[in-house]
Amino acid sequence: MEKDCRVITRRDFLLAGAFAAAGGVIGLPFTRSAQGWNGKKSRVVLIRDKNVIDGSGTIQGTVLEKMMDQAVKTLMQAPDVATAWRDFVAPSDVVGIKSNVWHHLRTPRVLEAMIRAKLMEAGVEEKNIAVDDRGVLRNPVFQACTALINTRPMRTHDWSGLGTLLKNYIMFAPRPAEYHGNACEKLGAIWKFPLVKDKTRLNVLVMLTPQFHGVGPHSFSRDYVWNYSGLILSKDPVAADATGARIIQAKRDLFFQTRSPISPPPHHISTADSRFGLGNSSPDRIELIKLGWDEGILI
Amino acid sequence: MKNLRSLKWISGNSMGLKVKTGERHGKNPPTYSPQRKDWTMAAFLVISVLLGSTIAAGAEALDQIRRGLPERVQAWTKAGEDDLYDDRTIFDYINGAAEVYRAYNMQGCLSRRYETPDGLAVILDIFDMGSSEDAYGVFTNDQDGKELDLGQGAFYRSGWLSMWKERFFISLYAEQDTEATFAAVRSLAEAVSQLIDVEGQKPIILSYLPSEGIRPRSVRFFHDHMVLNRHYYLAGENILNLGPSTSGVLASYERKEGSARLLILEYPDSGKAKSANAAFLTHYIPEANASGMALVEDDTWCSARVHEKFVAIVLECGDRDLAKGLLDEVCTKLP
Repeated sequence: MEKDCRVITRRDFLLAGAFAAAGGVIGLPFTRSAQGWNGKKSRVVLIRDKNVIDGSGTIQGTVLEKMMDQAVKTLMQAPDVATAWRDFVAPSDVVGIKSNVWHHLRTPRVLEAMIRAKLMEAGVEEKNIAVDDRGVLRNPVFQACTALINTRPMRTHDWSGLGTLLKNYIMFAPRPAEYHGNACEKLGAIWKFPLVKDKTRLNVLVMLTPQFHGVGPHSFSRDYVWNYSGLILSKDPVAADATGARIIQAKRDLFFQTRSPISPPPHHISTADSRFGLGNSSPDRIELIKLGWDEGILI
Repeated sequence: MKNLRSLKWISGNSMGLKVKTGERHGKNPPTYSPQRKDWTMAAFLVISVLLGSTIAAGAEALDQIRRGLPERVQAWTKAGEDDLYDDRTIFDYINGAAEVYRAYNMQGCLSRRYETPDGLAVILDIFDMGSSEDAYGVFTNDQDGKELDLGQGAFYRSGWLSMWKERFFISLYAEQDTEATFAAVRSLAEAVSQLIDVEGQKPIILSYLPSEGIRPRSVRFFHDHMVLNRHYYLAGENILNLGPSTSGVLASYERKEGSARLLILEYPDSGKAKSANAAFLTHYIPEANASGMALVEDDTWCSARVHEKFVAIVLECGDRDLAKGLLDEVCTKLP
């Protein structure tokens, strides 16, 4: 460790009030000094519908589609759904839908199918669309892709603090474990890979049944997921993740009845902002639009 | 057999080699004992050493336990083949959670699935951590829940039972948390514990912790700075130069003077300890006085002291005298 090296410590978070205010997640002490901010806020749409999950825990496709339609229209400020999707993609695009198949909490298949259908309605040929997670480096559509749609559920994660949209691209790294250092703080670097750089048109953070705590090697218990019944959409993955992280943090504090910081702190969200310039993590740089069901929104 | 790194067990075989393990006859199941090896196993281990790998040794220890595991427990029956993972293929099994086990020198993991007729699963994972210290260490990562008198320590919460004994960390995960699943995982844990003949010792560094006011479930043993950060986020960088050759213990205290956290770190030599202490003072409490004491932003005291090859650090201490007193107590206990 070089003596002159500026190290971010717990004390920096204390100074920023981050541990007290937001569990050390979002009050990221150095985002205000991030280079290259153009002064433009990132738009994030949070939409919820309490009917999207029925009494048996089944996702209601028709409700989910209405949520997606309303959210993309709002996000793109488009007059209709079709226009919004045409703003994301052109008929000539080759589109990879980066999903997540972690078996305890995967991207809902109904959502994957819905995104595929919307892309086709926007004119993208079916043969030029693929949904994949762990096989993206072997998938010919992903290898040739000109556009990416990124979607996954949010959950706590043993090593990165949170499983996020940013982290969802780790499968584009030939050796994912190389990005595990210091709570996966360098995940943002993957977004600079030629295969993915500047290709992500839409991020959909699935907050239908997010996971706010994990136990054991399988990192999952049904006790630690809840029906939040929401989706977070943004063109900015950092802003979407930071918004989701605030909800997870609020849920933890509420559930455990004490300040319960996400552990380890999900630094990769802040470093994606401050070091890699992928978006905005600070709430004051996020235009959060909330739609739908408000009860228990936690943000 | 899937491949050398992630193999399905084939009865009586381990990585293509037949390994005799001194299996008992009659009703008594085979048990794991580090002392009991026959010539075939000795040859097997020699080959392992020659290959520069401890994987096979870990696999053999797990295989001894595997062959004694019950095929059925209450309504749950063994489903499918057992799996064995090493420190690389473990990522295929539990994704990023694997880093926690790798940070404690995991040698291998045996996984067995039990299911009820309607498909409700209980998953047994037995991690060979290579040493009892590391088995205890990984166990201390999560000490929530109801304490159980099993193995050398066990907890149950939210469908998950964790236990350690000798060099093994045992995880039993039930997809649903019910009275029936609790009874099943408890029964399985008892069975596994009985298959491990001996007990292991806890890390010696724990004996340097002052006992007055310690909160037992706050005690965490670790090597890696990321594991420390999971329990107490100190810094983004590894300012204490922690790694496989270092050991650390973190504990919380509640005394009449106030509360505090205490960190004791052991380095390979005094030079490394001195460097780590200097780095901590530079990066964390540069304003510290000559005795290494500083009042920080949340109005708590932080202090560090080096003693031979050890560094002791008090964090979040509500009382200056308590901070000094804790370090004094540690130094009297250190060798």
